[in-house]
Amino acid sequence: MRIIVHNAKCQGHARCWAQAPDIFKLDDDGYILPGDIQVAEGEQLLASQGARSCPERALEVDRTSAARFEPAAMQPRTGEA
Amino acid sequence: MAINPVPDHVPPEMVRDFSLFTSPGMPPTPNGDPHAAVACAHDGPPIFYSPYNTQDGRGTWVITRAADQRKVLQDTETFSSHRSIFSSILGETWPTIPLELDPPAHGAFRSLLSPLLSPKRVTALEPAVRERAIALIDGIAASGTSCDVMKDFAFPFTVSIFLRFLGLPDQGLDTFVGWAKDLLHGDDVERPVAARKIVAFIDELATNRRKDPVDDLMTFIVQAQIEGRRLTDGEIRGIGVLVFVAGLDTVAAAIGFDLAYLARNLKDQELLRSEPDRILLATEELLRAYPPIQLIRVATKDIDFEGAPIRKGDYVSCATMIANRDPEEFESPNTVDLAREHNRHAAFGYGPHRCLGSHLARREIVIGLEEWLARIPTFRIKEGTAPITCGGHVFGIENLILDWS
Ligand code: HEM
Ligand code: SF4
Repeated sequence: MRIIVHNAKCQGHARCWAQAPDIFKLDDDGYILPGDIQVAEGEQLLASQGARSCPERALEVDRTSAARFEPAAMQPRTGEA
Repeated sequence: MAINPVPDHVPPEMVRDFSLFTSPGMPPTPNGDPHAAVACAHDGPPIFYSPYNTQDGRGTWVITRAADQRKVLQDTETFSSHRSIFSSILGETWPTIPLELDPPAHGAFRSLLSPLLSPKRVTALEPAVRERAIALIDGIAASGTSCDVMKDFAFPFTVSIFLRFLGLPDQGLDTFVGWAKDLLHGDDVERPVAARKIVAFIDELATNRRKDPVDDLMTFIVQAQIEGRRLTDGEIRGIGVLVFVAGLDTVAAAIGFDLAYLARNLKDQELLRSEPDRILLATEELLRAYPPIQLIRVATKDIDFEGAPIRKGDYVSCATMIANRDPEEFESPNTVDLAREHNRHAAFGYGPHRCLGSHLARREIVIGLEEWLARIPTFRIKEGTAPITCGGHVFGIENLILDWS
């Protein structure tokens, strides 16, 4: 599973982060970091709850098989923030 | 107060006798429930025209559906925030900042202020917030079995946190609360007087901080730069006034409505007291059920929006209390369900102006409820008293006397 992040729509409500701070990383102002999020096995429920908590509809859950098979390592994630 | 006639381009069948200021339940009402009263907006068409729906008696389009409010608030090119709500009280037209600026100008000021109220920053403020709540509630518990929640807890708690954030001393608290009250709920004489006092106060504070910098918000603003330049006096005033007004009344009103709900719904009160872990989620539901603010936008061009012929210059109202009772967005919207999940309520607005103070406001409400429920036994509305509620631009509650004898 993958979370598609529509950064332009993010307004920094931080509701995703409130649900799952380890999955949804925010910048110093409280807006989500750019880049789609590859969700690890076992975190899918939490991730989809986080995505569903976004008031702006900035987070889209992608459950297509392509998304499932893409290795998490391919996902560039910035660790700081 | 002049009521503008309904403009010619508004089809008569789209006009509804509905107002956040004058409809039943909106003027000061003992034991009122103004949030429930506005839910009737959903009985009719999703968008309609209200001939009297601002403090100064203007007509507005009323957007009832949450999905439509999202569209309006996310589309800042069509729906502008520049409407001088505050300065028009003084017969002037300068914007409060960032609230009444549109992108792209909005962005620079928003970025300047965001870090001061970010989730991280708020986490760091938490111990001080909790300490303040505990001190106040311990004082209340020690001095009897009844209190006026707004006077004794909600205002002193939220306003003192806010004053600390602004860098102002606690002694000013009663004066500031008085100004805010006159500004938001006063009559045509009281409102300009209060507005002028607030402006003079902010201007003087800016002058003082320029001379003698300290570690506070106003010093930060007078020293800040955007796009390589210092802020103008007008910009500093716009920010100071907004921050002053935005945080004074809102959190206190939310806490008041929440405690009134719990005083009347003892099962929910007991549930949160015995299982305080539920307060975090419950707070979201209480923000959904009792949000204080109506948002106003001005159309920048003619647009047919979801069947409404909106014309340039028309006012468009996105009332959070109406979106939050939208049956298409929320199952059983008129039922308060403290365990409601996926609660994407509109209390803090949508779009680029999403409340900058939302993270602080949430923490204050959660901490306020946690410490109140931990220290005050089963409480009810005191017999023989009736809290007075009112609608308007910002919904409010007063005379909330709780009793736990
Ligand atoms: C429960 C309490 C609160 C509620 C319900 C609330 C609600 C809102 C809403 C709905 C807006 C958007 C207005 C619009 O788009 O026209 C807003 C904006 C704003 N709020 Fe709050 N607010 C609360 C508390 C606070 C606090 C405590 C602060 C400051 C410490 C604050 C600071 C601001 C600021 C600076 C803006 C303007 C943001 C911008 O224009 O970019 N608010 N608030
Ligand atoms: S909940 Fe939505 S708007 Fe808020 S930070 Fe997350 S992605 Fe951004």
